[in-house]
Amino acid sequence: MRPIPIILLLLLSSASQAETPQQIGQAYAAEAKVTASAQRGEAFFRQRFGQNDKMPGCTSCHTDNPLKAGEHAVTGKSIRPLAVSANADRFSDAAKVEKWFGRNCKEVVGRACSPGEKADFVAYMSEVR
Amino acid sequence: MKKILVWDLPVRVGHWLMVGGFILAWLTSESESLRLVHVIAGATVFAVALFRLPWGFIGSRYARFADFVRGPAAVKEYAAGLMKLEPAHHVGHNPAGGWAIVLLLGLGILAGASGWAIYNDVGGHWLEELHEGLAATMLTVVLVHLVGVFTGSVLHGENLVSAMLSGRKNGSPEAAIPSQRPFALLVLLAWVVGAAWWMAN
Repeated sequence: MRPIPIILLLLLSSASQAETPQQIGQAYAAEAKVTASAQRGEAFFRQRFGQNDKMPGCTSCHTDNPLKAGEHAVTGKSIRPLAVSANADRFSDAAKVEKWFGRNCKEVVGRACSPGEKADFVAYMSEVR
Repeated sequence: MKKILVWDLPVRVGHWLMVGGFILAWLTSESESLRLVHVIAGATVFAVALFRLPWGFIGSRYARFADFVRGPAAVKEYAAGLMKLEPAHHVGHNPAGGWAIVLLLGLGILAGASGWAIYNDVGGHWLEELHEGLAATMLTVVLVHLVGVFTGSVLHGENLVSAMLSGRKNGSPEAAIPSQRPFALLVLLAWVVGAAWWMAN
């Protein structure tokens, strides 16, 4: 694991805002030394991890359609769509992306997500229409 | 000198509600499945802090801001006494404690307001960062406050934690407050429950 690219991007993000989903995805892919796959990202998004009764998978809150607004499984609050084509703000701030992968992977997946899983996830959310 | 009533019920119960709310909010800050607990805990801190503002004007003697908010000179003098290990005894809050109250109320209100905005999806990532920064600053003030409470308790030979539970401190009988203000406590509790319910919805 080489966390250098994502750290560089995080530094960059505090200097200037507005990264693109491509930049963020590429930084994760470079860290994982793999080519990102939207198919793997979709499978990950739909997987039932079963670590948390209230939120067994991503779809518990984000619904099985990332183009649609989600609903928080506990609070019922609306969550804006994950797909970039439905919500242009998504994956435009590396610090925010890293923070929410950190929180949600720990609680839903039951462990930290690997850079490869993050790269795949960003690829899927960037491409899905 | 004997034990006299100094802290009314809204001051004491409000204090411990803020303590419980802050600890619970801190412990649940990283979790989405505990998000409601976090919101209710934070709303409790926020509601108590808001209640404390009017109570600082209409509350009993030692609850009033005019009784304990002092200028920098008084704080410096108190701190100097503390350094010499002979701080001046105050029946109410000492000048350092007074500033801890002002800071914690202000930070509690700002953290609560930013938390409410985040919960309702107003503002972006910067607001989350601000909220976390306010909470971390609050924790820092809490830790300084705890050191002050411990030091003050030892140097005055007066347990300030149990004083915040019983409301009683050392003082002359004519310095005591006349009432526990039980009706105001009911208002505080109703307000906290109402505000927490409203914020969590």
